[in-house]
Amino acid sequence: MLEQLLDASLWASVTRALIPVLLAAIGGMICERAGVFQISLEGMMLAGAFAAVGMAHVSGSPWAAVVGAALAGVALSLVLAFGAVSRGGNAIVLGVAINILAVGLTSFLLPQLFGVRGSFQPEGGVRIGAVSIPGLSDLPFMGPVLFNLSLLGYLALLLVPATWYFLFRTQIGLRLRGVGERPLAAETLGVSPTAYRYAAVMVSGVLAGLAGAQLSLGNVGVFAENMSSGRGWIAVVAVLLGRAHPMGVLGACVLFGFAEAFGFRLQGQGLPVQITDALPFVVTLAALVLARKQFRRLLDLTAGSV
Amino acid sequence: MADSLRSRLPTLLGHPVTIALVVSFGFGGVVIALTGGDPLTAFSEMLTGGFSGNGLRNTLGRSIPIVGMALAFSIAFRAGILNLGGEGQMLLGALTGTMLAITLPGPGVVVVPVAVLGGAVVGAAWGLLPALGQTRLRVPLLITSLLLNYVARAVTSYLVRYPFGEPGAAFASTAAVPETARIPRFEILGSGRISISFLFMLGIVVAAAIAYRRTVFGYETGMMGLSGPFARFGGVDVDRHALVTMALSGGVGGLVGTHLVVGETYRYIDADMIAQAGFAWTGLMVALLAFNRPIPILVAGIFFAGLQIGGFAMERATDVSWQLAQVIQALVIVAVVSRFSVGRKRLRNLEKEEAVAEAEASHVGEV
Amino acid sequence: MTAELELRGITKRFPGVLACDGIDLEAYPGEIHCIVGENGAGKTTLMSILYGLHRPDEGDIRIRGEEVRIDSPLRAIGLGLGMVHQAFKLFPSLSVAENVIFRQEPSRWGRIDRKRASAVVSELAASYGLAVDPDARVEDLPVGVLQRVEILKALYRDASILILDEPTAVLTPQERDRLFEVMRRLRDSGRTILFITHKLPEVMAVADRITVLRGGRAVARLDPATTTPEEISRHMTGRDVVVIRADGSRSEGRPILEVQDLHVAGAHGVAAVAGVSFDVRAGEVVGIAAVAGNGQSELVEAIAGLRPIESGVIRLTGTDITRASVSDRRRAGMSYIPEDRHRVGTAATASVAENMLMGYQRDPALRRGRFLSTEAVDTHAKELSDRYDIRLSGVEVAAGTLSGGNLQRVVLAREMGHEAPLILAEQPTRGVDIGAIEFIHTQLLAARDRGAAILLVSAELSEIQALSNRILVMFEGRIVAELDPASVDEAEIGLHMTGVGGG
Repeated sequence: MLEQLLDASLWASVTRALIPVLLAAIGGMICERAGVFQISLEGMMLAGAFAAVGMAHVSGSPWAAVVGAALAGVALSLVLAFGAVSRGGNAIVLGVAINILAVGLTSFLLPQLFGVRGSFQPEGGVRIGAVSIPGLSDLPFMGPVLFNLSLLGYLALLLVPATWYFLFRTQIGLRLRGVGERPLAAETLGVSPTAYRYAAVMVSGVLAGLAGAQLSLGNVGVFAENMSSGRGWIAVVAVLLGRAHPMGVLGACVLFGFAEAFGFRLQGQGLPVQITDALPFVVTLAALVLARKQFRRLLDLTAGSV
Repeated sequence: MADSLRSRLPTLLGHPVTIALVVSFGFGGVVIALTGGDPLTAFSEMLTGGFSGNGLRNTLGRSIPIVGMALAFSIAFRAGILNLGGEGQMLLGALTGTMLAITLPGPGVVVVPVAVLGGAVVGAAWGLLPALGQTRLRVPLLITSLLLNYVARAVTSYLVRYPFGEPGAAFASTAAVPETARIPRFEILGSGRISISFLFMLGIVVAAAIAYRRTVFGYETGMMGLSGPFARFGGVDVDRHALVTMALSGGVGGLVGTHLVVGETYRYIDADMIAQAGFAWTGLMVALLAFNRPIPILVAGIFFAGLQIGGFAMERATDVSWQLAQVIQALVIVAVVSRFSVGRKRLRNLEKEEAVAEAEASHVGEV
Repeated sequence: MTAELELRGITKRFPGVLACDGIDLEAYPGEIHCIVGENGAGKTTLMSILYGLHRPDEGDIRIRGEEVRIDSPLRAIGLGLGMVHQAFKLFPSLSVAENVIFRQEPSRWGRIDRKRASAVVSELAASYGLAVDPDARVEDLPVGVLQRVEILKALYRDASILILDEPTAVLTPQERDRLFEVMRRLRDSGRTILFITHKLPEVMAVADRITVLRGGRAVARLDPATTTPEEISRHMTGRDVVVIRADGSRSEGRPILEVQDLHVAGAHGVAAVAGVSFDVRAGEVVGIAAVAGNGQSELVEAIAGLRPIESGVIRLTGTDITRASVSDRRRAGMSYIPEDRHRVGTAATASVAENMLMGYQRDPALRRGRFLSTEAVDTHAKELSDRYDIRLSGVEVAAGTLSGGNLQRVVLAREMGHEAPLILAEQPTRGVDIGAIEFIHTQLLAARDRGAAILLVSAELSEIQALSNRILVMFEGRIVAELDPASVDEAEIGLHMTGVGGG
């Protein structure tokens, strides 16, 4: 059993599983710091997954696919930004609506644009491949686990220290945190909450879109309807559990990545697929219960919020 | 009469819902045009397909799960509780009701009510779970109710394949519900039938309307939704009401799920039911559009049902995928929530936020 | 000498109300200029205009002789205007230094130079006698220190005109005097201080010149050397003020509220209420005098059932309510006028009728058969509105549309309509116009004469003295003094409020 836990290939799957969630969660974390409760990560991820496959099919280039995914995420994020920041609508309800919109749009465009239903593979089998770093990828344990990721994967890992530095050491980061905590106070000092919130939401759109690209083109090479499968929601929980701090968010994502990878392992050993599918969600629920002291603000937001 | 209509026209035209409909259909039309279709034909097929002749009957039939899930969501939402777990409550209720209908001996008059009740009870329990998480453990039920959807899917998928599955079936499904144990149908609008669940749904609409306006429970939960701190201050037992509303919400979800099998498809087919779980989200949107009020929910629910039935007709007649109806529905909600309106006062949400934050910090000052 | 700041004909309209009506004002360098007016006279709107949050509909503003357009807070800061806000605009989780330097951070290529920030803030604080720890987190600091941080914010931005909006509401008399010293120092350095207040003793103590606002107009320009508080008051209200005073008779009634050795937890693991015991008897008003943040809010919330208790006993009309729910407490005879009338005392989006129903929804008189009767609910609301003089176009209007004074009458009407044995009244007249203040005081005293027991918590010492039979002073979660309102003055109460005074 212990050997199983120290198995490098298990941890390599953990990294693979956590990358999309981490990318989306970092976007969600930035929004949370700016004071926007971002729960449409699921929809933006799905949109990004679709756009990546679509662009890959049309252009044959993974780079174009990644750009397309980012743009799809930004487009949806602008709906949230406009509705919640400019017009003052309820961000939670809007987020749910955007998730539904993304499912509807992708399921509609799939037959409309590509003439198929259910799932779609881009022509030419374009993928976002893994890029191994010469030298480092030969290290005994760390090699396959950390140094054999796609470029998006490296981006995700690098963003963790980068966002830490941004939030806690730079001017813009300080102002962002101020906007999230007391927007009116920030406004009286000349920092525009609207501008910072728009920026934060759009960044989350980009990152969630990229997460989707990793999911579709990176991990499996196809787009399937509803393929985000709750990962966007897990990203939301990761932000909550990690208290919107880069290290906390990373920790939460590792936990879920482990649950998913371990679940696949168990599947390989004969456990029914349904049980292992449920594993990440059960782990998430358990983590929520264990970490329950921190949810006051969310409870206040949702009660009496009509 | 004409005068009052003329004077109300500006308000109606500027009303968020009207604008939302215009914007959404407009966007839908643009999308159709961009992907090679003809918007006018498509929309006319959609509207005639959903609201005339046989289509209207199908629309009423389809309105049962939509209005039902809208009621389920709104029971909780008007108390300020976001129950995102409708999918799971539906699925578990459906499977329970199905298995009870299949396995219980006895005449239909006994079996059907027991199956329906069983579905409601299990749905209620699945709704109670996240509510207990929030009241006892302070874990937000917005998130737990949603995560439990995925758990419910896994559980039902497993149960349908192994213990309850019909061996040798092409897809994962249970056996068929025996004819005697099915929810009966009745004739409406000419030569077709819809389930009597439609009448029960109407009954729930009326009961909800009365309860909201004229009972103590309705008043107290309504106040909870408008201001949690005020309700608590006034002595309302917020935690207990949260549990009761979530149980009711989940129970209605379980009823809807049971109807979908025992009243419509007569077989719990895994893949099919997971798709039908989408009614939970359609219902959510209807409830938002109707501001949680039962009669508007009925109207909006029938309208959305018509859009969907019309969407199928549109797809049969043109090449436009029926999912466009989903897109339009979601856009309507987005537009309404974004408070699109002409000539209305805009709220400064920042000030509201700040007031909440400052009250928490209990600083002195003019609020 | 040119005026530092000149306002001419400033007019501002909001939907349904003329907030400012042609206001003229001149303030000079090296002067403390008091702007007085009661709540609703237009002071706050005028200050928001000066600070760039609103644009005037008519009129102009001149700074040092030049006409200016203040269209944003950033512009106001750039012109040398520094606002010290009534409800502090600080970021709780950030440090003092981060709060002061916000938006003008010393930096290199986007990275904040934290050492320099700390140093600059310390120097600035020292040169004006404002003691602060630049690295302390704002949320850990007491209210008096927060005000110094707000002043530092203005000074850091080279403010030549400092606007202090009701700064003394949260201070003990001693802290207030220290603030006045700082103000004098700033004035002597050539700055212009605009000091907004409605407290006349303060005006007489520090003002160099006085402008009185009433109903959106500047109705008088006075010199403190030649005027009196009564004259100022007459300009503020347009009539002679009736001062309500309780007759100070001791009550012989039985104890209604009994609190024994109460302990209530507060934030950061510190006890908010650390062993409080007292009684309130039928027919008496007990006033609790305390500076904000000394446990009085937590005490009242604990008695009301909105905050859990660590240990101790609370009895109401003889019944033990220590662990009782809010509804049980109300049934035992409690009514509560809360501090926060907008968020807690009413539901802004609900109608007045719905607001008035809370607490009466189980009353059999409001039923028709097994259901609530909407007519009876409306009649109930109308009757209460008439009895408590609430100006309404109808009971179906949303509570959030009412003015502060009117809204407080709604709360009063509903709570006092129960004619309960115990009334908890928290800051009952904060932010309310003078007419409503008189009305509320009259109603409270009438209830007392009917035999109610009233626990009054207020930051307005004049109110405490006027209404109470006994005064309890709270400091750091304990009752440190019991005083007779007839035989003490504000200064002595203030001394006890700071913990000094031989408890």
